[in-house]
Amino acid sequence: MRRVLLLSAVILTALILQTTVFSEVNLLGAKPELMYLLTICFAVLEGPSSGAITGFAGGMAQDFLLDAPKGITALTLTLLGYAIGMARQYIVSPSPVLPVLLVAGGTFAGIVFYGIVSFLLGQLSVGWLYLFRVALLSAVYNAILTPLVFPLLRRAAEGSRSRRVARW
Amino acid sequence: MALRTRARSTRLLVVALVSISLVTITVDYREGNDGPLASLGDAALAVISPLQEVVSKVTHPIGNFFSTLVRLPSIRHERDVLRERVDALETQLAEGRADQARLAELEALFGLQESLGNRIETTAAQVIANGVSNFEWTITIDKGSSVGISVGMPVVSSAGLVGHVVRVGTSSSVVQLIIDPDSSVAGRLDVSRQTGLLSGSGPSDLQMSLVDPTVDVAPDEHVVTAGYRIAGVAESLYPPNILIGTVSRVLDEDSATEKLLTVRPAVDFSSLSLVLVVLSRDARG
Repeated sequence: MRRVLLLSAVILTALILQTTVFSEVNLLGAKPELMYLLTICFAVLEGPSSGAITGFAGGMAQDFLLDAPKGITALTLTLLGYAIGMARQYIVSPSPVLPVLLVAGGTFAGIVFYGIVSFLLGQLSVGWLYLFRVALLSAVYNAILTPLVFPLLRRAAEGSRSRRVARW
Repeated sequence: MALRTRARSTRLLVVALVSISLVTITVDYREGNDGPLASLGDAALAVISPLQEVVSKVTHPIGNFFSTLVRLPSIRHERDVLRERVDALETQLAEGRADQARLAELEALFGLQESLGNRIETTAAQVIANGVSNFEWTITIDKGSSVGISVGMPVVSSAGLVGHVVRVGTSSSVVQLIIDPDSSVAGRLDVSRQTGLLSGSGPSDLQMSLVDPTVDVAPDEHVVTAGYRIAGVAESLYPPNILIGTVSRVLDEDSATEKLLTVRPAVDFSSLSLVLVVLSRDARG
């Protein structure tokens, strides 16, 4: 229950920040993708199932809130959380740079995947060049934010894990 | 074994979540903007928008600060452009005001022209320079012999008599003002109908001499042009009944044969800008 609350709070906070603060603070025309950042961080911290759930919940929330075609972000982030969580299990590097690299690569791949799915559904309203540009800039932006967000989420996750709860 | 079951359950979970996502996509795709999913989205928006508003209010200045920082060069450029525009508009405004003043003056001149009667032909001219020395009270106007101006022609303004032309070029002429010490004008007192001679005395008021000493002169009495000749002294160059000025002082103590008056000119010679030159000869006295 604690985890559900934590996840809801984190997702809500990210959504609000995304639509208020970061809609104004943009870097060369691109905004950070906080939900991607969040999903990847949780996947790294908690593993594939947690990553998938975070991605699904966050993606759904974002899809329903923004006027986007619903479900695509949820699909993208579910797969992204799962993939990053799986990849994390096979990498045995204690380097603190690892989350940053995972976030950068994951964000880029995730946004491109989102673009491809949108394209297949006939929902992609921007050019490919723009998509890649945004993917790249968002990846950089997210990577910059990682050192700030990652420790915060780790502490929150550890705090909620201190008690034994039902495993998802 | 336990690890494998966990992995399998994770895979199951992911498959389930992906399926839900796909179903959502499909349903949303088929229903467009009117389906239950859309209204669910609207509900979510209604819940979160007050929160967004609050956060936005708090963080807006911060965000503004950063985006301003990034946009600083373009803002500076914009400021320069706007400043230039303000300058241009101010110039335009001043020009507009000057044009308006000019228009009012022209209208007054037009009224004067009508009062002179249709027989008299006139031409409007712009004052382009004032007299060159401190001992010469002349103005230069922007019309000359090319429009028919010749030496001796009277010049008036909307306020009253200005002077007469003393030198003519093709497109400019010099006008001697009535306040020039060399200028003499035959004038008539408005009420008593007495005539006299007005001569200029530079910056101070005109001197009016040769007035019958028996006449009572009221202060502030108007003096107009007399419009006839006084042989040997001056030819009356001017059409009759043009306002010259008002009596400012009567100096009658010492002389028994004539009365001396001072007359303040009606025209403010320091701010002349548009004048009328009377062209037709038959109008002269």
